Amino acid sequence: MSSLAHLEKKKTLFFPSVRDIFKFYFFLGLNSRRSRLFLLSSIVPIVIAAIFKGSQILYGQPRFSGLFIYSNMIMMFFLHFLILIMTLFFGSSVCREEVDGSTLPYLVTRPLHKMAFIVGKYAASTLLVGLTVIFSLAICFLILNLTQLGEGGIYKVLARDAGVLFLGVMSYMALFTFLGIILKKAIFFGLLFSFGWENIIQYFPGQTQRFAVVHYLKSLLPAMTQEGFPFLLFRLEPTPLAQSILTLLGIVIFFLGLSCALYAWKEFIIDSK
Amino acid sequence: MSIRKKGYSHWEGQLKESAFVAWFPLTRLGIKLAFQKRFFKLFFFSAFLPALIFLAGIYVSERMEDFRFMIQGQPSFLQITPNYFKAYFTNSFFLFLLVLMMIFVGSGLIADDLKFKALQLYFARPLRKVDYLLGKMATLGFFLLLLSLIPGWIFVLFKLVFAGNFAFLRSYPWLPLAVVAYSLILTLFFAIYTLTLSALSSNSRHVALMIFGIYLASDIIFGIFYQNFHHPYLALLSLKLNLQQVGAALFGEKLFYPVPWGWSLLLLIMLMGLGLAILNRRIRSVEVVK
Amino acid sequence: MNPVVETKNLSKYYGNVLGLSDVSVEIHPGVVGLLGPNGAGKSTFLKLITGQLKPSLGQVYVFGQKIWNNPQLFADIGYCPETDAFFEDLSGWQFLTWMLQLHHFSACQAKEKANEILGFLHLAEDKDRLIRSYSRGMRQRLKIAQAIAHDPQLIILDEPLNGLDPLGRRKVIKYIRKMGEEGRTVIVSSHVLPEIEAMTKKIILIHQGKIFASGNIHYIRELIDSHPHIISIKCNQVRDLAAALIKAEEVIKVFFTPDPQEVQIETRQRDVFFDRLQKLILELDLNVEAITSPDDNLQAVFDYLIGEK
Repeated sequence: MSSLAHLEKKKTLFFPSVRDIFKFYFFLGLNSRRSRLFLLSSIVPIVIAAIFKGSQILYGQPRFSGLFIYSNMIMMFFLHFLILIMTLFFGSSVCREEVDGSTLPYLVTRPLHKMAFIVGKYAASTLLVGLTVIFSLAICFLILNLTQLGEGGIYKVLARDAGVLFLGVMSYMALFTFLGIILKKAIFFGLLFSFGWENIIQYFPGQTQRFAVVHYLKSLLPAMTQEGFPFLLFRLEPTPLAQSILTLLGIVIFFLGLSCALYAWKEFIIDSK
Repeated sequence: MSIRKKGYSHWEGQLKESAFVAWFPLTRLGIKLAFQKRFFKLFFFSAFLPALIFLAGIYVSERMEDFRFMIQGQPSFLQITPNYFKAYFTNSFFLFLLVLMMIFVGSGLIADDLKFKALQLYFARPLRKVDYLLGKMATLGFFLLLLSLIPGWIFVLFKLVFAGNFAFLRSYPWLPLAVVAYSLILTLFFAIYTLTLSALSSNSRHVALMIFGIYLASDIIFGIFYQNFHHPYLALLSLKLNLQQVGAALFGEKLFYPVPWGWSLLLLIMLMGLGLAILNRRIRSVEVVK
Repeated sequence: MNPVVETKNLSKYYGNVLGLSDVSVEIHPGVVGLLGPNGAGKSTFLKLITGQLKPSLGQVYVFGQKIWNNPQLFADIGYCPETDAFFEDLSGWQFLTWMLQLHHFSACQAKEKANEILGFLHLAEDKDRLIRSYSRGMRQRLKIAQAIAHDPQLIILDEPLNGLDPLGRRKVIKYIRKMGEEGRTVIVSSHVLPEIEAMTKKIILIHQGKIFASGNIHYIRELIDSHPHIISIKCNQVRDLAAALIKAEEVIKVFFTPDPQEVQIETRQRDVFFDRLQKLILELDLNVEAITSPDDNLQAVFDYLIGEK
């Protein structure tokens, strides 16, 4: 059989490539020891919620309501820590893990659309982290609102918060995927961005705070009472809901597109071990 | 006279063992490799920024008349007392810088050896496990002491030079010792903390995230609990607060939370003990595959 | 016939370090040995023809098409990298099945093919063990397995015999030869000469980033004028033969070896020499035991070209 004729039948399509890459990395994510270790960190807020609930049951008369503690946990633990650490780990790994681990040759020598690799692995990582975070959030919600589970309205709060966190995971994952492609020290700069820039810039008034991803995520959450953690909402001048969602989606498209283009253009030198 | 043939010939001298020499090459290599990393030099010099600001503060405190146009009244923060040292050594930004330094220098110290299976090579030489750990720890110690002990002593020295007398030292003769003690505690804790996490994974990126994540998570968890329960003993949950508590006590200043500082010190010692136990278990010349 | 792999003035620079310089070569079906000392540029060449690296200058064509950013070509290419790297948290079987699924095989087809190839490479018993627990030889076999499992037309193997035991080596060498006989194109890199010699007579010799020679080993040897051919003759009257040969114009040197039955000569005109030898055998009524060319092999070609001798 002529080799060229053989190739004619095997056009490399984008979406089948994305699907195959996605399936592979989702499976790998579930089975990798390192990933599981990081996914386990989502148990921490559940333990915290259980301790709160336990103390309420044992000592009664809580200082704050379950919903209030839950809202603060979203702010402090999920939004300001968990999704940042998890997306930084998974996002910067999208490309860098294959280069550092010298496994990239296995992937680039398959009939897979080059950009599909980034999109497929990004999607697998986003879903993995997103589901883990939402699972953890839901358990925290159920534990902390144990006495109000009959009230239908509170589930809207859970759905809204889950949506906000998933949007956060999508945005940060795209940003850190890009960092992982352009920088060898993506983790270091990712940490500086997440816990330096994102924290400092949001306390600036006016338009400056709009240069932080977390600003748009906070804008999607309802204004909370200042009694809880006032410093987290200090000087927050929220962006309208639709504009926030569009901006976050824009961040995803921009950084993911940039990552794909860069990955297709760039060559990666794998060190011989 | 024998003929010297071309090729390899064994060295027939007698090996002189020395405890210092055994681990020192590891330290030298670690420091050298750190400076070869991209952006490290920039970060390294930026890390001295807080020390420079505090040093400038000491100068201003001695020339208060010249700077009165800038400073209204007599600001208490420019009175050079042990509290000034406490402010430098226990401020969150300084500790954050130390954590970043550990990420830069320390995350790959053992993880890379595990990744490239270098432990077998190390232990095929006259090097004991303790030498290996000392070598790695000294690498971290070098950077940590450069940021803690050296600025601390420079503050004391410049205070004396700017004042032109020994009144400061006569008032606080124990202060240089407190600087040494707290610098050593910081160094020991961060070195063992970093090496322990570095020994838990063969991927330095994951170690970097663990070094930062655990440090920050402990503080966030404290924040969440403290907000609700307002119990000072919850400060023991935070690595940062434990270090700050010990620092405040050693500089003879008011504690951050009304918890006996001995508890914090004990907790830090226990964590270091746990870290050393993990290191002892993980550092092996032969990898056990499960 | 169109070449399967063709490079035109191919060069690769890593910053100011030369990886490969002005390489123009055509590779046709059959087994081709890519030979050169460590750091010669073999792996760079293989990475360029598999589209992992972008040429600094020149072009690479595989199946007549440019390889860079042309993933559809990989449906027919199998590549075994030199580096000992895997997705360590997978079992051998899982790894192979997934690699096949990335070739767009269905899960069922992938499982079937994976089982078949694992059996062939004696990994069937250990297929469910995690790769992290595999021995060096097993890892090497698994790497080869993923390169050939999808039945490619072009197989590129970078140091495939590293870490294999003698039995495994023999089996892989036999399989590589078989694939060549089937009309596939197999490019094998190695710095171990007997390995390449056991697989093929067609070589490409790379040194210092340049191609020093390509083609049949014997043909290349013929072209090396600077080194006369050595011919060894074992017979019963070596001294009579030597006396006769010393008068021949085409013979440069005649010398004896520790074996009393052997004489060796050096000549630059092999054909003329062999004509004369035939006549002398008849004239002197020699009982010839063996005629060999000790330097008509890969080692000699290698040594002569890269200047070891």
